[in-house]
Amino acid sequence: MRGLRYGAAALAVAASAALAAACGIAGASESSVAHKTKLVIGVNKDQPGLGTQQPDGSYQGFDIEIARQIARFMHAHDVEFKTITSATRETMLRNGSVDLVVGSYSITPERKTQVSFAGPYYVAHQSILVRAADGGRVKTVHDLAGRKVCQVPGSVSFPRVTKERGVPAVAVSASGYKDCLDALTTGRLDAVSTDDLILAGLYAQNQRGGGPALRLVNAPFSDEPYGVGIKQGDVDGCEAVNKAITQMYQQGIPAKLLQAQFGSSGLDFTSTVPQFEGCE
Amino acid sequence: MTAVQQQGASPPAPAPQGGPPAPPVPSGSVRPGLADVRARAAAMPPRRGIRRAVPRTNSGRIRALSAGVVVVLAGLLLLSWNAVHDARTGVKVIGTAGPQVIATGDLYFRLTDMDAQLAHALLVGAGPAHAADRDQALTRYDGSRSEADKALVEAARLARDDTEKQTARSLLDALGRYERLAGQALLLDQRSPHAAGPPSAAVTQLYRQATDLMKLELLPQAYNLTLDNGTIVRHTYEDKRSAVLTGRTVVLVVGFVLLVLLGGFQLFMTRRFRRLLNLPLALTTVAVLVVVAWTATMLSGEASSLAKAKHDGFDSILALARARAIGNSAQADQTRFLLDPGRADTYEQVFQSKSQTVLYLKADNLADYQNGVKGLGTLQSPRDKPLLGFLGDEGRRPGGSIEGLNDVLHGFQRFQQNDRQMRDLVAHGQRDDAIALQTGQAATDYTSYDKSVVKLAAVHQATFDKAMKDGKGGTKGWQYVLPVAGLVVLLLLVAGIRPRLAEYR
Repeated sequence: MRGLRYGAAALAVAASAALAAACGIAGASESSVAHKTKLVIGVNKDQPGLGTQQPDGSYQGFDIEIARQIARFMHAHDVEFKTITSATRETMLRNGSVDLVVGSYSITPERKTQVSFAGPYYVAHQSILVRAADGGRVKTVHDLAGRKVCQVPGSVSFPRVTKERGVPAVAVSASGYKDCLDALTTGRLDAVSTDDLILAGLYAQNQRGGGPALRLVNAPFSDEPYGVGIKQGDVDGCEAVNKAITQMYQQGIPAKLLQAQFGSSGLDFTSTVPQFEGCE
Repeated sequence: MTAVQQQGASPPAPAPQGGPPAPPVPSGSVRPGLADVRARAAAMPPRRGIRRAVPRTNSGRIRALSAGVVVVLAGLLLLSWNAVHDARTGVKVIGTAGPQVIATGDLYFRLTDMDAQLAHALLVGAGPAHAADRDQALTRYDGSRSEADKALVEAARLARDDTEKQTARSLLDALGRYERLAGQALLLDQRSPHAAGPPSAAVTQLYRQATDLMKLELLPQAYNLTLDNGTIVRHTYEDKRSAVLTGRTVVLVVGFVLLVLLGGFQLFMTRRFRRLLNLPLALTTVAVLVVVAWTATMLSGEASSLAKAKHDGFDSILALARARAIGNSAQADQTRFLLDPGRADTYEQVFQSKSQTVLYLKADNLADYQNGVKGLGTLQSPRDKPLLGFLGDEGRRPGGSIEGLNDVLHGFQRFQQNDRQMRDLVAHGQRDDAIALQTGQAATDYTSYDKSVVKLAAVHQATFDKAMKDGKGGTKGWQYVLPVAGLVVLLLLVAGIRPRLAEYR
């Protein structure tokens, strides 16, 4: 009889302890991407070499491979890709349509007020692509003075040349960087200046298509840290992505991916892990 | 006599299934009251279900209630002990890991300083005019190298898993390669004396290799390792703080259960013994109330000490350590800009991006940015101009000092003005004047800016130390408080029930 009474008391203690413990766990981030087995990753569909969507709906490119590797090292078995644009990526991260964004997404202080960033997984540099015939004359950004340079609306690359470096280049508008490539090969403009990985992608595409010889000028004049966008405040998820990026670099994977994707352009790659932004 | 004995020995039919049958005791040795109770109990109809567990005699009920109180009390004390232990571990781990992590954060600063001093020594050259300047830079280089080694060993010791250990090993390896390149560059530079300004092409080539190694391998890994170490503190903080708060909830819930039990006990005693108040039992209730309230308050205090140490202390100290390191490396980019004109564009852009990491303002170019920084003037409150970057974060943190922040801001403004002047001199072909400015007044101004950052960090260090002291003080003596409180409650309980139980002997 008394034993039962003890049992009831012990039960009450255990129940209240369990209740309180449950409250404590609920405080931890249950929505973190750190422990998800399926990741939805937002990527670009129209950047040659970085992220392009094939006619069958699949995606390929450097960003896509990096996204797959990050998911692999985070032990996510299932990866789904969704197309993002510069206009939608912050919203899609915030409303949970995508868990991560891997799509040449430069980390800037303004964007950091809206989303968090893991990584960068690569630091690209703004550089210049010209026709091979002009290779001897265009060696640095200053040599773009007076030349016709591609300007893509919404991209910061052209203002970087004219406003930041103060080089009086002549603007020639294009709808996107694929369009810039056509204009460069047909002689409508003299140079395309943007992130070296995008230029290397254009270079490889032109080479595959049998276009005229081009040259990628190895004169980087800016740092563009490509981050992995993640919902603001998901510190555990951000740390897990950083750990995945570190492990990926320790196994030498990005160097192989870069070589496979852009090797033909003669671009100088960095094969060591970039400096992270920090998750808090 | 025989008949009576037989009657007592044979259980009445139907026999009560729950309680033992009244033993065949000689009626003379039992007080009439107890025999009466037992007879009544025996006469009751058999009970089923949970009611069977309830003792049917008053003395049995008192014993059962007391046992319940003792069990729950023991549970309460154990759980409180556990929560106190969590609080102590949290304070201890943050109190030791915090400073260690801050020490590893120093690694980044020392590495950037090594590269900055190397650039400085190569820029002023080995000529007699700048011998003292060069010696000073090399002495500082050696000092920073030794500090970097120390911080690296500490960081390697803190590494938790294979990934972090590999990072630490890779850093040691890269540092060795860097020192070899630096040594070669210095030796070669000494053999080909030049006036202050860019050294020979061969020296520049060696320095480029060294500084690329620093920028692309050493600094990123050092920074990432510090971030990794910072997560140790974050995880300990979150685990322990949540454990302390959970412990507080558990103590409150179990305390409540105990109070309800004691209240029920009091009610039972009032009804059974027709006394309004059992004083010792009432005192037991009060004692439990005091213990529960005191423990919960102490645990709340511990949780808030941990929060204060983490947010107002540690986070700021680490952020300012990073701001200091990045500022120092931006200053080195000025030297590199002068040292290696072939890469001037990159060094200027990197200087701007590092400056914007410290204090962000939207700007088209460096000159535009520097005008914006100048226009900030003096802050009245951290909120009057919403800034981004490390200094912006610092402004938004509670517990910072606006005077300290303004000192840093003014120092940063001077740093940017000197930079503008230096770049304008170079643009007008007055490279020698630019070098004189950079190694003279600008260097002095930068040192005082750096000191203001250190001073601001000291404010947060004091907050951290105070919170740690409060955290340690909060649980002081609790290893005695809890057992003594338990003993007092137990003694009061015994004092309350002993006289009542005695009535049945």
